[in-house]
Amino acid sequence: MLTFKIALRNIMRQKRRSLLTGLSMTGGYMLFVFSYSLLEGSYGNIIDIFTLDNTGHIQIHKDDYLDRPKIYKTIQNRDQVEAALTDSPEVKSFTPRVFSPALAYAGDKTAPSQMIGVDPDLEPTVSRLRQKVAMGTYFSASPNPDGYYEAMIGRGLALTLKLDVGDEIVLISSGADGSIANDIFVVSAIIGNKTSFDRMAVYLPLSAAQTFLSLGNDVHEYALLVNDKDENEAIAGRLTELLPDVTVSPWQKVESTFYRTMQSDKQGNYFTMGLIVFIVFIGVLNTVLMSVLERTREFGVLRAIGSRPMQLVRLITLETFMLAFISVMVGFVLVLPIIYWSSEVGMLLPEPVDMSGMEFQNLKGELSAKVFYIPMAFILATAVLISIPPGFRAARILPKDAMGSH
Amino acid sequence: MFRMLLLLCLALPALATEERASEERAREIIDEMEQLYRGGSSDATMTMQVQTPNYDRTMTMSGQSFGKDYGFFRILGPKKDRGIATLKRDEEMWNYFPKINKVIKVPPSMMMGSWMGSDFTNDDLVKETQLIDTYSLDLIETNDQYKVILTPKEQTVTVWDKIEYIMSKDPLLPLSQAFFDEDGEKIRELTFHEPREFDGKLMPSILEMRPLNKEGHLTRIIYDDIKFDVPDITEDTFSLRNLKSRF
Repeated sequence: MLTFKIALRNIMRQKRRSLLTGLSMTGGYMLFVFSYSLLEGSYGNIIDIFTLDNTGHIQIHKDDYLDRPKIYKTIQNRDQVEAALTDSPEVKSFTPRVFSPALAYAGDKTAPSQMIGVDPDLEPTVSRLRQKVAMGTYFSASPNPDGYYEAMIGRGLALTLKLDVGDEIVLISSGADGSIANDIFVVSAIIGNKTSFDRMAVYLPLSAAQTFLSLGNDVHEYALLVNDKDENEAIAGRLTELLPDVTVSPWQKVESTFYRTMQSDKQGNYFTMGLIVFIVFIGVLNTVLMSVLERTREFGVLRAIGSRPMQLVRLITLETFMLAFISVMVGFVLVLPIIYWSSEVGMLLPEPVDMSGMEFQNLKGELSAKVFYIPMAFILATAVLISIPPGFRAARILPKDAMGSH
Repeated sequence: MFRMLLLLCLALPALATEERASEERAREIIDEMEQLYRGGSSDATMTMQVQTPNYDRTMTMSGQSFGKDYGFFRILGPKKDRGIATLKRDEEMWNYFPKINKVIKVPPSMMMGSWMGSDFTNDDLVKETQLIDTYSLDLIETNDQYKVILTPKEQTVTVWDKIEYIMSKDPLLPLSQAFFDEDGEKIRELTFHEPREFDGKLMPSILEMRPLNKEGHLTRIIYDDIKFDVPDITEDTFSLRNLKSRF
């Protein structure tokens, strides 16, 4: 308590110096929080875009389908998988899918395409497929009166094959039993735009796709959304235990290239932030060192009247810590509205970024406890660390020499 | 010494003639055998079983042939594939899909692709009869078998580097064909089983194609019935118009 009092008094004694040192720490903290929030926010945004757009938070496949897709690597125990997913309270929604490359014909034009079979009712609970309908209407699970199933095609395919809503499209592919899959579908909608990832896709109702590929009732993939997206890796782990026959992959594994790029980019950014803090604290170190040198006599007296060396180290550490704490608190109060604004409104990008047919115009920050307490902990820890050398310097002072200095 | 030289001189041309004789004899044997069951025209119903580690599939189909160059196959069952047909004329091939009412010519790049999901390639259907024209033949005779070794003629483009064709002498029937790649490795083997008399002619009723580089894969063709010299089958049977006709 005494140390605390002395430390406080020491801070107040040189008000101007404390204020300037504090301000540099406040500024450093605010900069740290702001860039951290923006970094997390922009990546969080991108992750939300593709997980909610198509990927989902977790995907389930058979064996190594993710790395080596083969038409016959199918999930056969669908009832068991769906029961496990329904029973898991942390799983918000799920949808089955089948995939196959297919050759698309219309008139005398051909184009390679990616056939994706989805459940028309379940798919909108996981992805934004319904919102991406640019022309026409979202398809239905049942065939039209002429007996043809409906298909939704990507804009790129529609342009290549000169297809419009209501036209017929012929697909040829190879079935799971080695047969040649071939059928006619009617275009019910055109999806997304020319740059969407699914610009060359043909979406079919699940049952039509299964019949087309002779898959029976099997599917290639389940995509699911969870309630707490930050928990998805842990949930994937729990589902793996529940479902040993299939492979459960969090999006970090599904989109592993993106994930690795993101991780290395984040590391680069953390390094830059660390550098900001480092520069701030060189100044702080200078200040603390100056104040120790200035108070040599004072420390000599303290030593002479019986202070232990460790008490002096503690005193100086506490001084720096208190100053840092106050600065960080001030910084927190100042930066909170800025972060709130950036997470709600965000910065307007000069050009909107297009992600598979959805436009994003704002660069938004993240507003979460983590964004504030990680920089805070980092700054306080650095403050303590930086005050140790000056502290030891003070502790080594001998009363005799100290009194002798002026 | 002089005698030996003279002998050698006499022997050399004799050896060469013998080689030519071997080639001609081999050609005769294969011609004779193929004539045996191809005849002028033929009309067959057959069952094709495709076995792979991932699926088994059985199809019944009809097949017509006319001379060496024309062939026509149509899948009769299962229902889902019914009506899918293949027309072969000389070295060209077309597939017809009734569900989408489309004739698709098999491009040269797809010739090595699988025919109807089986272990036979499109090339097998097109080229089977041209084997003896593009390869040079070498006959090895044993007591009860002929073994013909086919090696590509110079300056011809062929898929295989060597084919070993084994036939039994009496009755004259094919037993097996082994296909080798350029590294001398045996890639696949076609074997002939269970000779049966069809329409007065004895021929193997089961063909098995086994790709040796794909474990667990096997295609078996079983001839259920075959008729020869059917008057209904003429050149017109092998037209694109007929390919597209619903049946």
